[in-house]
Amino acid sequence: MSDIRAGQERFVAPVEETPLRAIDAVDVDAVPENQWKEAWKRLRTSPIFWLASLILLVVAVMIAFPTLFTDADPTKGSLSLSFEPASEGHPFGYTRQGYDVWARTVYGARASVSVGVITAILTAILGMITGAIAGFYGGLADSLMSRFSDIFFSIPLLLGCIVVVAVLNNTFPERGYWGSVMVVVAALALFAWPQVTRQMRAAVLEVKNLEFVDAATAIGASKFQNLRRHIVPNSLAPVIVTTTISLGVFIVAESSLSFLGLGLPTNVVSWGNDISAAQNQIRSGQNLQVMFLPAAALAFTVLGFILLGEAVREALDPKARKK
Amino acid sequence: MWWYVGKRLLQTIPVFLGATLILFSLLKLRPGDPILNLAGNKPVSQEVRDALAAQYNLDDPLFVQWVLFVKNAITFNFGETFSGQPVFDLIKDTFPVTVVLAVMALAIDAILGIILGTLAGLRRNGAFDTVVLVISLILISVPIFVVGFVAQLTFGVKLQWVPATVGGDWTLSELVLPAIVLAVANFAYTIRLTRTSVAENLTADHVRTARAKGLSNRLVVRNHVLRNSLVPVVTYLGINLGALMAGAIITETIFNIPGVGNTAFLAIQRGETSTVVAIVTFMVMVYVLMSLLVDLLYAVLDPRIRYV
Amino acid sequence: MTEQPLLEVKDLKVGFRAGKELLTAVDGASLTIYPGQTIAIVGESGSGKSTLAHAVIGLLPGNGHVTGGEILFEGRDIAAANKSQIMSLRGSSIGLVPQDPMSNLNPLWRVGHQIKEALVANGVATGKAADQRVIELLEEAGLPDAERRARQYPHEFSGGMRQRALIAMGLAARPKLLIADEPTSALDVTVQQQILDHLDTLTETLGVAVMLITHDLGLAAERADHLVVMYRGRIVESGPAAEILQAPEHPYTQRLVAKAPSIASLRLSSVKERAHIREQAEQAASAVADKIAHGTAGLGVGSSDIVVAENLTKIFKLRGARPWESVDFTAVDNVSFTLRRGTTTAIVGESGSGKSTVARMVLDLLPPTSGRVLFDGVDVKSLSGKQQQLELRRQMQPVFQNPYASLDPLYSIYQSIVEPLRTHGVGSKKEQEAKVLDLLDKVSLPTTVMSRYPGELSGGQRQRVAIARALALDPEVVICDEAVSALDVLVQAQILELLNDLQAELGLSYLFITHDLAVVRQIADEVLVMQDGKVVEAASVTQVFDNPAEEYTQRLLGAIPGASIALGS
Repeated sequence: MSDIRAGQERFVAPVEETPLRAIDAVDVDAVPENQWKEAWKRLRTSPIFWLASLILLVVAVMIAFPTLFTDADPTKGSLSLSFEPASEGHPFGYTRQGYDVWARTVYGARASVSVGVITAILTAILGMITGAIAGFYGGLADSLMSRFSDIFFSIPLLLGCIVVVAVLNNTFPERGYWGSVMVVVAALALFAWPQVTRQMRAAVLEVKNLEFVDAATAIGASKFQNLRRHIVPNSLAPVIVTTTISLGVFIVAESSLSFLGLGLPTNVVSWGNDISAAQNQIRSGQNLQVMFLPAAALAFTVLGFILLGEAVREALDPKARKK
Repeated sequence: MWWYVGKRLLQTIPVFLGATLILFSLLKLRPGDPILNLAGNKPVSQEVRDALAAQYNLDDPLFVQWVLFVKNAITFNFGETFSGQPVFDLIKDTFPVTVVLAVMALAIDAILGIILGTLAGLRRNGAFDTVVLVISLILISVPIFVVGFVAQLTFGVKLQWVPATVGGDWTLSELVLPAIVLAVANFAYTIRLTRTSVAENLTADHVRTARAKGLSNRLVVRNHVLRNSLVPVVTYLGINLGALMAGAIITETIFNIPGVGNTAFLAIQRGETSTVVAIVTFMVMVYVLMSLLVDLLYAVLDPRIRYV
Repeated sequence: MTEQPLLEVKDLKVGFRAGKELLTAVDGASLTIYPGQTIAIVGESGSGKSTLAHAVIGLLPGNGHVTGGEILFEGRDIAAANKSQIMSLRGSSIGLVPQDPMSNLNPLWRVGHQIKEALVANGVATGKAADQRVIELLEEAGLPDAERRARQYPHEFSGGMRQRALIAMGLAARPKLLIADEPTSALDVTVQQQILDHLDTLTETLGVAVMLITHDLGLAAERADHLVVMYRGRIVESGPAAEILQAPEHPYTQRLVAKAPSIASLRLSSVKERAHIREQAEQAASAVADKIAHGTAGLGVGSSDIVVAENLTKIFKLRGARPWESVDFTAVDNVSFTLRRGTTTAIVGESGSGKSTVARMVLDLLPPTSGRVLFDGVDVKSLSGKQQQLELRRQMQPVFQNPYASLDPLYSIYQSIVEPLRTHGVGSKKEQEAKVLDLLDKVSLPTTVMSRYPGELSGGQRQRVAIARALALDPEVVICDEAVSALDVLVQAQILELLNDLQAELGLSYLFITHDLAVVRQIADEVLVMQDGKVVEAASVTQVFDNPAEEYTQRLLGAIPGASIALGS
């Protein structure tokens, strides 16, 4: 042809250089991996995850075996030891009431972390059930559930807790260790669940319209089978991320309540209580370790949970998965 | 647009009623003699007793009492403290400083959070991003009252740049440090949200199209990346207000600022549950109202919302 | 001739950094475009065609780089130019019409404003003059009522209107080269044709050169005079369009020419093949029908009409303009058809025609507002009890469109295929396993995929798994809802062949829902053309293709790209 211009002549690449592949060939060597396995693989290679695990492992050991860290009894104080400096076996000295600062910090982990963990689990369960019902059944159930959770969502977490704890503390003046923990847990959970509900609802709404759910219905799976087998498992990822991060948030919230005198009762050894008690002792800027040690332990633990949440988010992020 | 506004207004009503119902139930859940509760557990004569019962409608059915509770809340009639002062007078006197503190904190939170978050998001995984990430994670982990004490000790007691406490005759400059403390915890979340949002928008198709039009990088970032990233951030700042109010209780206590939060703290300390509930009710009302405003702002920012 | 090329790409290499690895997306590509000329780059997904286009306009994503070669625009090397030099080229010298009209407009700005930005940035016009120009540009792009439209937001536009706005934007500063990256693949065929026609006229009058990126060989050949075929990052063949189509030389191009549905549908050979398959299928099916008619097992009477839809209507209640108002929307309006045993009935229509709603009603996933579905003579609604309903489910199975959503990502391939057997309690564990192996063999997948998860398979492979799952219960009817629409042409052809083979072997009856009239000839016997919820035309495939009665059907046929091309064989 005459009208072919320079650079546009017929060109055919040598077949040896551009070999054909079978159409849509299966990669036979690939290793089976589902979302969770893949997430785990990403977690394993994440330095943030290992840092978080290390922090949380230390905290866990502290809770399980406090005697490994200190021989002192956190509940026995003697005014003769008030603000005594550090000595052998008491690396951070004593509080004004003569308690061993280090021992109190070690033993304080238990109450603070329990509140966080129990609240997070409770919130996750409540939120998942309500969210799944609202998202899956839709209609009236959804409207009622959504308006109901809106109400609790309209009261800021800490404000709501202040009122609930103030009332419950009056109602149950004698409530013991676990009773005290449960009062704080109940107050936190009461105003925290709507967040999980909203997330779960959104996730379920998205998953339930996917074609594999229709495929399962066409097979003959009942609504409930579908919910249990396909919809809930595929909606969990965002809830897991939020729950992990909220663990840290709840621990901070408990300590804030303690600061206001509404957390665990003062006879319970907890970080919040110790920080709260310490604030009056260090106004002058002396004996700072009395406050900084429990505060550092608290921040350290919360950081552990937040980092863990961060790592889990990265690992479960659908956008990261596609790459 | 107006349907959206109307719908959103209508939705606020059940939320507000529900919230008051929760607070009202909690008030009723208190054990013991309601009259003694009202009088601060001091023995009272039969006359005072009858007067209080009449004043607080204690003999009416619970439902009527709740309706009256709502009515009182709307008309800012929050009852009296143990010492006989109307709670609303207390709020009226203390509210302005809290508003100033909250506005300053919100401004710091929004301005710094959005600027740092944007810079981090534009260079994701760069050195600046990593530093911001680490700092924001640490800020999230440290409770606000610890931050408050550290700031107070360092800048107030040790360095003496600012007075350690604020006190009755507050000035704007005295509130700067407390406002920073109040902003710190939320501000970390604002950074992170902005960062994610900016990084996401940066790879959006429409941003590529904007570049293909020949827009300069500055224009693309300002009009297409930042503008779109702000929508979720503004919503978040609204939710943030709730945390800000709770945080105000702590910050005001540490710095001895005569605001609503400090008043609430003192009431908690004295065990005046009814006053605490009254103040919290007021704060929830403010919060619900602010959430409404933020949602309307959201509709202004995102044209798609107006047509829902 | 002393004409200077507008764009010359010489031995271009583009790589993407993924972690420590460098993946080559474009490997040694060379091409030339002259002023005012339209060329097309054809390739399947992952062939590097879009990457090449993005390299030309300097818009590679963050981890992509030009690793070798030159891109000469009017003699200047873009690949070596700095950022501000490329920026000054964009819009004014090289324009872009992107692929997906839904995501390429900023949802927060008025459409007019977004076009105005292009005018201002390139110094064409400012202020009031620019506003006036925006309206002219929108009118020029074929958008009626342009003045009002310019003030609207993207979400108030339909897909076709958005694409027109994007064309107006790409041409706003009168570039010399327009890169059109799959500009219409997200749109309905008739809209696609209108927009491409308009783009053709426009670029011709303006003398703009066009680089058209497409996966559709027929479309490419129809619109461009020079073709570039890409395969796995390489240019495997290029030259004059007609020559390539009539005498493809590279094996990949030969494959493409042989299999591309838009072209294959024109061949008579596909009609003969289909007739052969149908004969076999009807034989196999009548054997099945005999068994049912004389046995007690199964549902129905063994009649020759396996599915009959009578006056199906579906009305959805939509929220009105005001909260308390509701609007009736008739998605399906009085649709009747018959699917005969061992044959395929295709329902063809554009988006919003109601074709998928019909499929969902036949599958009993959605109750019809009125009308009924008969399965082998039995009214589906009359089935009482869980047992009978399960029995119906066994006989009718779906294969859905989106290969990325039709399998549960948390289920292994084995779990997915065995799920129907478990739900119906068919066989022991051993027997179930044997059945799964048999099914995998039927859909030509190696047994090693059993333990894998959907995320590790390609779209075509997932569709195979979905077909295996659908066949697990030995159904008589399979309903394919856009089952091949999301696949690359070659994979699409392969799956169609698989469906044909399975039909011949098992005597299956298919209800085949599609927007693409081109694939119909390879698989269907009867065709129902739907528009706005109504059946426009119902006839045999040959009649619809050779002698379409309705104007709408004629338009659909005319819109199949490449219809006007003369083929060698």
